Amino acid sequence: MVLIETHNLWKTYEMGAEKVHALRGASINIEKGEYVAIMGPSGSGKSTLMNLIGCLDTPTQGEYLLNGKKVNQMNDDELANIRNREVGFVFQTFNLLPRATALHNVELPLIYNGSPAGERKEKAELALHKVELGDRMYHKPSELSGGQRQRVALARALVNDPSLILADEPTGNLDSKTSIDIMKLFEQLHRQGNTIIVVTHEESIARSAQRVLSILDGEIASDERASGESAGTN
Amino acid sequence: MVAPSLVRLALGALLAHRLRSGLTLLGIVVGFTSVMTIISALEGMMGAIEGRLERLGPATFIVVRIGGFITSYEQWMEMSKRKAFHAETAELIEAGCDLCERVSTAASTGAKVKYGNTAMRDVEIRGATFNYIDIIDAEVAQGRFHSHEDDLSRRRVAFIGDLVRETLFEGLDPLGKSIRIGGAKYTVIGVGEKEGSIMGQSQDNWVIIPFPAYVKEFGFNGKEMYFFVQAESVEQLDDAMDQVRVVLRSDRHVPPDQSDDFSLLTADNLLAALNALTRLFRLGLVGISSISVVVGGIVVMNIMMVSVTERTREIGIRKAVGARQRHILLQFLFEALITTSSGGLVGIVFGYVIARSLVGMIDMEISPSAFAIVVGLSISTGIGIIFGIYPAMKAARLDPIKALSYE
Repeated sequence: MVLIETHNLWKTYEMGAEKVHALRGASINIEKGEYVAIMGPSGSGKSTLMNLIGCLDTPTQGEYLLNGKKVNQMNDDELANIRNREVGFVFQTFNLLPRATALHNVELPLIYNGSPAGERKEKAELALHKVELGDRMYHKPSELSGGQRQRVALARALVNDPSLILADEPTGNLDSKTSIDIMKLFEQLHRQGNTIIVVTHEESIARSAQRVLSILDGEIASDERASGESAGTN
Repeated sequence: MVAPSLVRLALGALLAHRLRSGLTLLGIVVGFTSVMTIISALEGMMGAIEGRLERLGPATFIVVRIGGFITSYEQWMEMSKRKAFHAETAELIEAGCDLCERVSTAASTGAKVKYGNTAMRDVEIRGATFNYIDIIDAEVAQGRFHSHEDDLSRRRVAFIGDLVRETLFEGLDPLGKSIRIGGAKYTVIGVGEKEGSIMGQSQDNWVIIPFPAYVKEFGFNGKEMYFFVQAESVEQLDDAMDQVRVVLRSDRHVPPDQSDDFSLLTADNLLAALNALTRLFRLGLVGISSISVVVGGIVVMNIMMVSVTERTREIGIRKAVGARQRHILLQFLFEALITTSSGGLVGIVFGYVIARSLVGMIDMEISPSAFAIVVGLSISTGIGIIFGIYPAMKAARLDPIKALSYE
């Protein structure tokens, strides 16, 4: 079953009089349950693609279907709703609320879909247990290590049971040992049936994915399956 | 429902920055304290004057040559040409007005009052006929008021106010003592109940003597005379006033096409005149003090702008996990509203307490009016919305991608 389907996505920024094309007609298909890495050097357009896939932004041109829903024509509120229910973000800089406990950080997405307080707490606790942070629920980010913070972020991404987990350089701020732990966690989540997209420029991180999409100058340059066989760019 | 959670988030954010929230709150508190102090003090003042006027009684009116609501110099000039009253006016009123229960003739002036070596300057000397005490709702604290016989025999007796008693007879029994008013000696026969003061002005600085004695002392002046008239009942007040009008117009030969050349004052129309006269002044005071509330609102807006900038990343995170524009808008608006309405509430309490202590020094009764509290609370809420909406909208409209990468 297809989860993500984009046709000829363009994203153009106006820099004064000049037009900068961050994406030049990217078309991709991602099935439910896939573990995909998007690779590319900085400035290649991979962050732009991630923002579009994560519904933080809309394309200048082209069509994007997420779970069969046409996202490219949605308004701000509808996009917020999609981000809330369909997408779980994991960022390089964790992006946790510094003054809130791990539990409150994980509860955050549930606040905005109006879940009652009791249900929120229950789900957030469950998500924290999944990332093995059951004993750190009432710690603030400043009281947690980098790896633990990223686990909190992962729990937050999972809490609403999204269709897609979208990670942007999730190990960029972590040491190599912690990075391995986090990537193991991603693999585990993948095995449990989650769809995962990791944006990275590190070969070692991309290797844990089944499929690697390379992007260069705003276009999909290659699309390789872990087995080595090429899937093509259609 | 998302809103209750947003209120909790707003409260949490305010508590997380206690010093900043406290200072913002202070700005609002100061503003509302000043407004409420002034409103409460004005209300207390008007209440005291009203209370005083009510002593005239609901069935009583005063006949004066010049009085009422004078709005122009021309009107004043026209009034000052009015004829004087003659000595038999009270008898004429009594004879011609069967709805009038009592009529008392009165006049007043200022004079020095002495007892032994103690003297008081500028005491109000009121000459009034015996039934004055029955018309005006005044209490006798000690002794008695003068009688009809005292009037008829022009006896020199005095009924004194509490301030006069206190000043001249401190610790002594004033009854039977002899005081000097102008050139003559008067025997003190009674003391009035203490009335306190309005705006620092004592209401007990007077001596009442029989009207005939007053005339003997200060001469007869029909231009300064006035009459207290009590109708049989409140219901008959208007009819009684009409009867008096008929009597006076014919006595004073007022042509039918001309208006009265005298004025009839009731507690109600005096109060209305007072309200009308002081309205602009009161509005002005409230208006000036309201500036501080607006300043408080600007403080809130300023702090909110700083807060939105500082929390750009937080806003980005909230948007990334699915907060809609209105969720962000409401959270920040709630922060402003909580600040202004709690500040407003504290300010109302402070203002009331300060007004009370101010007014306490000058013997005024003051009570918190529900109206002032409701108005104060709605204004503080309004200030929160007016000055909170712009920063909140700014926060709500932030681009999530830019907000997330904000350093």
